Amino acid sequence: MIVVIAEQRHGKLNRATWETIVGAQQLATATSTPIAVLVPGVNTAGVASELAAAQVQEVVTLEHAALEPYTPDGFTAALQEAVTQLQATYVLLPHTYQTRDFAPKLAARMDRALVTDVTGVKSGSGQTAFVRPMFQGKLTADVVPQGPAPHFITFQIGAYRVDQVAKGTAAAGVRALSIDLDASVIREKPEPPFQQAKQAVDLSQAERIVSVGRGIKEQANIAIAQQLADALGAEIAASRPICDAGWLPMERQVGSSGQTVAPKLYLALGISGAIQHLVGMKGSSTVVAINKDADAPIFEIADYGIVGDLFEIVPAIIEAVKA
Amino acid sequence: MIQTVAFWILFLTFVGAFAAQVARRVQLIAAAPNTFSLDNLPFRATRFLTDVVLQVRTIRERPVAGLMHAFVFWGFVAFGGYTLVEFMYGLGVMDLTHAWWFELYRLLLAPFAIAVLIGISYLLVRRAFVRPIALGTHVSVESIVIALFITTLMITFLLTFRLDEGTRAAAVNWWVHAIVILAFLALIPASKHFHLVLSPVTVFLKSPELGNLPNLDFEKEQVGLETVKDLGSKMVLDAFTCVECGRCQVNCPAWGAGKELNPKAIILQTQEALLAGDREKKLGEVYSEKVLWQCTTCGACENQCPVGIEHLPVLIGSRRGLVSNGDAPDYLGAMYNNLERRSNIWGLGYDQRTKFVQSAALETFDATQHDVMVWLGCAGSFDADFQKSLRSLFEILRARNVKFGVLSKERCNGDPAKRTGNEYMFQELATANIADLKAAAPRKILTSCPHCVKTIGDDYRKFGYEVEIVHSSVFIEELTRDVIARARHADLSAETSTTVTFHDPCYLGRYAGKVDEPRNLLTRFGADIKEPVRNRDNPYCCGAGGGLLFADKEEEPGSRISDVRFKQLRETGANTVVTACPFCSIMLKGAQASAGADTQFVDLMTFVKERL
Repeated sequence: MIVVIAEQRHGKLNRATWETIVGAQQLATATSTPIAVLVPGVNTAGVASELAAAQVQEVVTLEHAALEPYTPDGFTAALQEAVTQLQATYVLLPHTYQTRDFAPKLAARMDRALVTDVTGVKSGSGQTAFVRPMFQGKLTADVVPQGPAPHFITFQIGAYRVDQVAKGTAAAGVRALSIDLDASVIREKPEPPFQQAKQAVDLSQAERIVSVGRGIKEQANIAIAQQLADALGAEIAASRPICDAGWLPMERQVGSSGQTVAPKLYLALGISGAIQHLVGMKGSSTVVAINKDADAPIFEIADYGIVGDLFEIVPAIIEAVKA
Repeated sequence: MIQTVAFWILFLTFVGAFAAQVARRVQLIAAAPNTFSLDNLPFRATRFLTDVVLQVRTIRERPVAGLMHAFVFWGFVAFGGYTLVEFMYGLGVMDLTHAWWFELYRLLLAPFAIAVLIGISYLLVRRAFVRPIALGTHVSVESIVIALFITTLMITFLLTFRLDEGTRAAAVNWWVHAIVILAFLALIPASKHFHLVLSPVTVFLKSPELGNLPNLDFEKEQVGLETVKDLGSKMVLDAFTCVECGRCQVNCPAWGAGKELNPKAIILQTQEALLAGDREKKLGEVYSEKVLWQCTTCGACENQCPVGIEHLPVLIGSRRGLVSNGDAPDYLGAMYNNLERRSNIWGLGYDQRTKFVQSAALETFDATQHDVMVWLGCAGSFDADFQKSLRSLFEILRARNVKFGVLSKERCNGDPAKRTGNEYMFQELATANIADLKAAAPRKILTSCPHCVKTIGDDYRKFGYEVEIVHSSVFIEELTRDVIARARHADLSAETSTTVTFHDPCYLGRYAGKVDEPRNLLTRFGADIKEPVRNRDNPYCCGAGGGLLFADKEEEPGSRISDVRFKQLRETGANTVVTACPFCSIMLKGAQASAGADTQFVDLMTFVKERL
């Protein structure tokens, strides 16, 4: 059995769990092993039924009052028992902060191999290898875990795409697993989670961003960019001068002195691409730049560059998106 | 006889008071870790002559007040022998007052006395009524008293020419003169007038290198300055030498932009903390942590100080103490991450540098084939905007048949780590770069980044690595000297000449002292330079130095330093700003974009290339 350990907090599923399921499905095909998704915590029913949509053999909830709030001792004890009961051959986890906290302890407790930060699965010639970066991504290694099962594997966030998850024809069965958990093994007394000062706009989570620079010329023209953002379902952002001028609020500034963003699509309108701006959006998957100046540095990092007047191009894009 | 005894009593009382106060301060200096150094004696001797004897640094920035001060200073020195003779007479040790040469000496002193009177009157009026901001917000009573003392001394001296010896009036005059000197003496140590005694020593002991920051020795568990007791002996001496003239204050770009940092306050807070005797007090509390992070390390305070105070070792030393305790601001945490993971301040991948090196067709440096190694730096490796100016430099070099190459791999030289107090990271970067440089063995390095000039030139020397590193302005100025004749013959008319203003980078103009080379280049290639306020070796910082490139905190008071500088450059009336440092260029272009101005920016190398 391949066991995927889902991560949820207060009934809200961490999206990275879906990515891990994609990895699990690849591994399942290679090894002809069924998948069970294990959901530890309290009030897991909602998350479990959400996950049941995936093409897996079953979804197993692991409810215990001592699992909320999260503690490494509680999770290690509970998961050790659950993994053993489910007779796991592989235990797959998203490489989240929480996983990083307990997975080494769990693997060490069970004296089993742990491969972390995996970006891919390679199968063939009778063995399965897990690809992971080394030396800060300068090299990648194919790691074949040794020793008795289960092997613990954590997947790097973004290694698999959520939209590649295979959905089942019917919802998978959901059952509850009961375990004995002695709450006295838990030594940690968690404080309430740290809440970062609430930023009204969190651009770092945006999937699409339309960003404006000086090329927008005047405040009234922000509306054009806003229309494009609305059409694309994108957040609007800006480079420093726009926010300095008060045309957009400071919290929408991208760059070394503003927010650091990593959307799937970053549309730069009239942004020259000063390096302080570039360092704030260099993590974007696809950068589309529109600028009159063909020499603008933004074109150095843009995937698609359009040299021209944004006041002609943007309305055409809006038209095309709406069509 | 009674008079002699009375004078002895007075003498011992006042000299005792003086000595007790001095002893306290000397003890504090002696108790501090020894940081005195006497390297480069010829330089120190020359500086002593110019800055102490000739008062050049005092006069340079404030010509009138400085000259008036020089009058008073030279008068003091001239009166030394006179006071000695009169005191020996008063104490009954020896009477030389009737020696033939003493009469002559007195006569020679008369013009000095008049000069002192003019000087001190001017300074008294300036302090009591004009009250420039640099001198503080309220009038110092003690300064007024001292000024009146000096006036009294000069008047009583001049009266000796009018009063007949042996008269009661002459006796009273003598006593007034003597008692004022003794009272003056007792007042000195606890006041800013202690600089009379200390500043010649402090000037002599000041490091010949601006912003001298000796490496921390991690083997000895040095972590920088954490508490008052960590302040080195030179810093303690500095604190007692401060004359509170406020040159550091008015030249500080942070203070000028309305921030809380005031270098003068830093020195006076040091003094206060030392005298309070709280050796365990954290420097972050003595100065306030926030203020320590507002320094751009431009060096203006230290360079303008007429009494030899070094501010940067205190400011950066305290930053070291904070960083060692994990108390760096958040934006630096992000930058340190970039330096640690990617060895550059931007956190970009080095494939981008490789891309640039390939597209600019740069050869890997080979000491047997190349005349000079070009150091690209963080900006040159990654900033597409600055890479344009580097391409101009390469074009000039190729046009002049200079054979050059670059390292196959570079790391940040470590300047942002060094000057924000992350010494450990600096040393990691520096030692790795030095290993690469030693292997490549260039005789000369050429760079367009003034920060690289300072760090590789000065800071790497402290690891025992010596190399000649020059800024492109210096190299290209020398390379194109043959153009002078052409420019003269060209008879530049109004159309062909370009009106520009030049922004001296702090690390070029002030630190490296290269102020003529960029100007020679500009005029050689047809520029008409409109000088901004704060130029040459005392420029107003762009705001990028000391790691502040990444600090753009909205909650900070005042304006952005870059906005203030941009305004100064605008006020020259020139529509073209020539820059010679990638970071100045980034900051000032940012300010221009925010101001919505149509000012043109051009890097010095591109300016030259376009006109070569």
